Amino acid sequence: MNFDDTPEQARLRAEVRQFLAAHHDELAHGDGAYLEEPGHERVDELRRTQAVLFDAGYMGLTWPEEYGGGGGTNAQQAVINEELHRARVAGPVGHVGLGMCGPTILRHGSEDQKQRYIRRLLRADDMWCQLFSEPGGGSDLAALRTKATRHDDGWHVQGQKVWTTLAQHCRFGILLARTNPEAARHRGLTMFVIDMEAPGVTVRPLRQMNGHHSFNEVFLDDVVIADSERLGDVDDGWRVALTTLMNERMAVGGGGGELGVRSDVLVSHANRLLPRLSEERRVLAVEALGRVLVESLAARYSGYRLQTTLEKGEHPGPESSAGKLTAVRVAHATADLGLRLLGEDAVLARSRDGDWRWASAAASTPGIALAGGTDEILRNIVGERVLGLPPDRPRTPAAATATPIAESR
Amino acid sequence: MDFDIDDEQRNFAQHARDFFSEQAGPEHARTLLAAPGEAAPGRRVLAELGFSSLTIPEDFGGVGAELLNMALVAEQAGRQLAGPSLTTAARVAVLLADDADRLAAFSEGRLSLAVLDGPPSGSRPSMDVVGATHFLALDGDDLVIGEGRVTLGEPIDATRGLGYVELTSSEVVAQDAQARWARARQVACVILAAEGLGAADRAVEIGLEYAKTRETFGRQIGAYQAVKHRLVDDWVAVNQLRSLVWWAAWAADHAPDQLPIAASAAKAYCAGTFETACETLIHVLGGIGFTWEHDAHLYWRRAKVDRLLLGDESEHLAAVATCTLHAADAAATGELQPI
Ligand SMILES: Cc1cc2nc3c(=O)[nH]c(=O)nc-3n(C[C@H](O)[C@H](O)[C@H](O)COP(=O)(O)OP(=O)(O)OC[C@H]3O[C@@H](n4cnc5c(N)ncnc54)[C@H](O)[C@@H]3O)c2cc1C
Repeated sequence: MNFDDTPEQARLRAEVRQFLAAHHDELAHGDGAYLEEPGHERVDELRRTQAVLFDAGYMGLTWPEEYGGGGGTNAQQAVINEELHRARVAGPVGHVGLGMCGPTILRHGSEDQKQRYIRRLLRADDMWCQLFSEPGGGSDLAALRTKATRHDDGWHVQGQKVWTTLAQHCRFGILLARTNPEAARHRGLTMFVIDMEAPGVTVRPLRQMNGHHSFNEVFLDDVVIADSERLGDVDDGWRVALTTLMNERMAVGGGGGELGVRSDVLVSHANRLLPRLSEERRVLAVEALGRVLVESLAARYSGYRLQTTLEKGEHPGPESSAGKLTAVRVAHATADLGLRLLGEDAVLARSRDGDWRWASAAASTPGIALAGGTDEILRNIVGERVLGLPPDRPRTPAAATATPIAESR
Repeated sequence: MDFDIDDEQRNFAQHARDFFSEQAGPEHARTLLAAPGEAAPGRRVLAELGFSSLTIPEDFGGVGAELLNMALVAEQAGRQLAGPSLTTAARVAVLLADDADRLAAFSEGRLSLAVLDGPPSGSRPSMDVVGATHFLALDGDDLVIGEGRVTLGEPIDATRGLGYVELTSSEVVAQDAQARWARARQVACVILAAEGLGAADRAVEIGLEYAKTRETFGRQIGAYQAVKHRLVDDWVAVNQLRSLVWWAAWAADHAPDQLPIAASAAKAYCAGTFETACETLIHVLGGIGFTWEHDAHLYWRRAKVDRLLLGDESEHLAAVATCTLHAADAAATGELQPI
């Protein structure tokens, strides 16, 4: 057991640290995820940041070199991520591409797709979205109804997706659609790469409870997708989707990363505001802060254990679902305490001295507990796939062909 | 980074696991409630096997291992509700660090020690005083050792050997011992959390086994989310506790500046995790879980007591917050100072 850098990692760390300092003004910074509205200006700034980092060799370090990745190790990527975090560089805007679409293409895509897409995805030249959820299929993803039918010129897609994060900024997406209505629910699905600028694709903004426009409805009206844009085999989309979902949970908190406001931001916030509290309230607030910090340390060090298994070359398994569960809890507790430290000012979205971060974070955390698998679904996955508890079988005959919960999202 | 134990440590833990499952166990804890005495396997055996002298240097008759190894043993001891606590051994090793003779006597099992919390003139309830002949205590700034008059109370968990002690003799072992005392207590918190980790892990395991076999309404109860999700939450918490215990134990030898936060984090997280795991277990078992014959309440008893020993959750949460706030403040003002 050791937390030390190898000499090579120490060199990398020093180099990254120096680079981030030297290029400070070209990079976007922030206090945590989901705080700010992803409007065009901010997204452009974040895309430039990702491009600067890619050009420096810091994005997709573990991805194959022939497609623009670094051909490096998980350990190297971890060093880089730590330094990005330390320097307060805003998380990559192409996180859906990096965390979900990219790994799916690398695993299931054709050589041609990898050549065309991966480098631009890593550099945020193209933004990517994930078109899985539908009005009738979220947790129960295999209930989705968007149809793709084969024609001479390719697949014709008809249907609707929803909750599609950042679709308004995306050039491409990965799309899960039903290709065989006769087959069992999760047997008749196929995964595609969809061009979001293709005729028939309409992106309509949805406003979230935090006021942001981040997710969207996407209408697909006779959109044509060439067969060469299929990811994996026809009717084998469920297996492909599982790759995406596994990576999603790893990307979203599984690795011990923070999902909401950074804990060091909470600590300096507390350092500033605690002296303003009465003695009695200070005692309570300090204990509450201790609780958040302990939860956050527990999540962080559990992430290091997962990181260690990754560095030994193992793939993220269902246990990364546990990481997302705890990261959500930490994000929620952090936002709530940050808000309560503001005292009576916390009844307004912006405190007297202009602090809007905590109200924004508090209004964002409910979404984190849903996206990428709700808390309940993740508990089912851990319970059934990791702990071997019996499945939560459907009780009605009509649902008898339903996907076992642990295989759904 | 390599945040994992190695194969040698895994084997060592397995060895300890086998030993404790033979030599200790909840049935001993139950018997002890009726017939007070020293918990199984007892001081003598722990000393013979070298478990209680793990962190004592070889020159002083000990094994010279790191605290992490002792934490691995403590986890296995905890699974079987063994006693006396390795917490006492870990604490003694720090307190008597420069007392070669006594350390050697302790290593060899010739000296039965307990460490007192609170004033030596009348201690607070302290661990492992049952069967101890000599007591270590902090008297002002002095570390003292002496014999004492022991008053046992009615135990909730009889394996902890709790009692009040009044020293009847006293010899100064070391002066200016505050820092050493504090470090010994932090190390003790790590080991207590490790014991709690093992016990909580076992509680979850028993619950999972039962949830897979017991059927109601034609289904195994583990299929019901109300049961499944509680067990999952506890299992996740136990795993997170393991991360904190490993980190804290590692820090004791490799990053002493991190020890105060890590030890308090592990102790605080253990308090809630262990207690909740036992409450879940009893509930998931149904009526059988509420019986004297089932082991569940023995784990629950341990949890109810351990959460308050060596500082309760509130104390340790506050310690984590205060240390973190100070460190952040120092770093922030440090930046403003010219180098
Ligand atoms: C901020 C945000 C961003 C998102 N981004 C994307 C995206 O980019 N792409 C995409 O495809 N999707 C995205 N989603 C969708 C997300 O994956 C779904 O919202 C989620 O899977 C839940 O599905 P649902 O909304 O249909 O809720 P439902 O599945 O209808 O669930 C409703 C409630 O029932 C509970 N529930 C459902 N089934 C069970 C069960 N078996 N056992 C116990 N409880 C159950 C759920 O936990 C939840 O509390 C996003 C969602 C949010 C909130």
